[in-house]
Amino acid sequence: MSKFTDPLQPSDSPVHMIEADVLVIGGGVAGCLAVVGAAKSGARVVVCDKGGRIERSGSVGGGVDHFFAILHNGQEWDTPDFLLNYIPSLTEGVTDLDVAEKLVRGLPEMVHMLEKMGVDFHDPEAPDAPYYRHRVFGLPGEYTINFDGSNFKHIIGRAARQAGARILERTMVKDVLMEEGRPRGAVAFNIRTGEVYLILARAVILATGDVNRLSRNASGIPFDSWHLPYNTGDGQAMALRAGARLANMEFTESTLSPKGYSSQGMNAFVGGGAYVINSLGERFMFRYHPNGERARRTDLTHGVATEILEGRGPIYFDCRHLPPGDIDRLVNTLGVDRPAMPTFFKQKHIDLTREPFEISFTELSVRRGGVYFRGSGIHIDPEGTSSIPGIFAAGDCSSMSAGIAGASVMGYLAGQSAGRYAVAQPPPTHLDKEQTAHIVKDVIRPLAMKGGLSFHAFEDEVRSIVTDYIGYRREERRMKEAIQRLKALHNRESDLEAGDHHGLMRVYEARNIRMMAETLATTALERRESRGGAAHVRVDFPQTDDQTGLRMFMVEMVEDELQVTSRPTGLSSSPPEPISRPSTLTES
Amino acid sequence: MTMPIVINEDACTQGCTICDYFCPGDIIYRITPDQLPVVKYPDECWYCGICADKCPTNAITVIFPPQMLNCTTDVRTLLGIPVPDDGSMPDDTPEL
Repeated sequence: MSKFTDPLQPSDSPVHMIEADVLVIGGGVAGCLAVVGAAKSGARVVVCDKGGRIERSGSVGGGVDHFFAILHNGQEWDTPDFLLNYIPSLTEGVTDLDVAEKLVRGLPEMVHMLEKMGVDFHDPEAPDAPYYRHRVFGLPGEYTINFDGSNFKHIIGRAARQAGARILERTMVKDVLMEEGRPRGAVAFNIRTGEVYLILARAVILATGDVNRLSRNASGIPFDSWHLPYNTGDGQAMALRAGARLANMEFTESTLSPKGYSSQGMNAFVGGGAYVINSLGERFMFRYHPNGERARRTDLTHGVATEILEGRGPIYFDCRHLPPGDIDRLVNTLGVDRPAMPTFFKQKHIDLTREPFEISFTELSVRRGGVYFRGSGIHIDPEGTSSIPGIFAAGDCSSMSAGIAGASVMGYLAGQSAGRYAVAQPPPTHLDKEQTAHIVKDVIRPLAMKGGLSFHAFEDEVRSIVTDYIGYRREERRMKEAIQRLKALHNRESDLEAGDHHGLMRVYEARNIRMMAETLATTALERRESRGGAAHVRVDFPQTDDQTGLRMFMVEMVEDELQVTSRPTGLSSSPPEPISRPSTLTES
Repeated sequence: MTMPIVINEDACTQGCTICDYFCPGDIIYRITPDQLPVVKYPDECWYCGICADKCPTNAITVIFPPQMLNCTTDVRTLLGIPVPDDGSMPDDTPEL
């Protein structure tokens, strides 16, 4: 591989200046729909993505098999009002209901908009039948459409391109540039060529997805992660450095996955009726939640972790009882979310129709703490605006997340808001020669470092700290130790060596992952209770305490230190009074 | 390490750059169709299989390494509670 060693020196990095109205950082589902929304208001839009072509980049570039929807199909549960009634209990009283309402009410229209773009939500096996929908994760109805979304990202990526946006592929944004407390644009670089981009924009939309590569997993391979390992909290870290507030950062998320392979696709198993059993053959999930295997994702993870700790592991998924038609559907759609999943079972010599297979929980990630209609990230208001005017956020990097459906609705909304904001603002002042030189020199500094600290070792150290001192079972003493160690690592960041332009990306990713880890520990220390299934378990405060816990914890940077504040959510965590008892609410 | 993505160079005849563009990471480099693709950063592979799935000549195979196929990790070590060397859990494990 040495033939790829890049001979470029820092002085060889060409610099490009670009002017726009709205800069979208991240070209996944939220980012692409943000582009479409912003372009509709007449704004000139630039979008940067670390991945390749925007038609395939991001978490669902390879495909997706489900979309959360409200369709008004005549059933009582299939309306925004019915669902909204359940959101406080679903989120255990910690969310922004006004933002959730924007998301939920935007769902029916978003389905129509995506269909107009060319997304087909029908079952390819039965194109004339109504959508095939199922119930997952503690939701009060069969909201989730199962479909062949192999081309979902291609279609919305193409829509973003057709909206006229300038697309910078394989381009990582290092930081938002600020001017008197407002965004001025951003500095970015191409991860292959090293070209530096200074993008002037009046509004910036952060849509960089979740935080992965944060803790160790069963295989010990850092990039073997449930969600996209190239999502490293870049937008969340940029927002903090720019002075914006993050919310709910104490809640972490993981899922159940075949042991040794952290993968998506488990919704298909639990939604399709698979049992989760322990080494005694018991369907133990009913001990943890009345909905059994159809409890929230975070309850499933908590149940499995607890069974293993109490000596009833290993844990298995069991599909043997399913009718042949259901098994066929499961096997046929297994590769849509993760094309290599069938290969994994083949190389492992497992026939999931005939034998249970061992599962475990995946690594920790920061996304939404295992429940829909809440996010762990940049705190946004109902218009998608962060605590800083001009900085917007959407999708899994924001405080309102609900899979790709949530990313679609909130991305489009943030795009519209940013477009309106930008065209009403005076253009940002240009960067003079001296400012430009300073910014560029700062970005490429790790390229000039020789014999410095390896980003591999740095990242591994962050994962060790998160795994051993924060983890799924938290206590004050160990988290304080984590914070101390993470701060010590921070002091060594200027020694990080990039090697090449790809390595320059890795250096900034490693720094962002460390910052997210410190944010997680600092916030989790302040929530002195346990809440949200596996999302936040304090062994020193094992009970859920509504007296202190029905609050949203926020974190921001004040003079280079993370500062946590909290405010009451005004919500109750108890389940709503049923409006009625529709038959669809009965568990089968 | 085990190479996660194995490319059959004889089968790779299409002259496309699909593997490079479809990879959600920055792993496979095929800048122009006249080069053979190179798995440049194998340690960063997500094991998603999109490259193999989209390759028009089926030239790509994803190979899972032993620590993924036959994972023997005691997952209690991933929970944030120290596990003694003998593998037993400490007596003061809190009831949860």
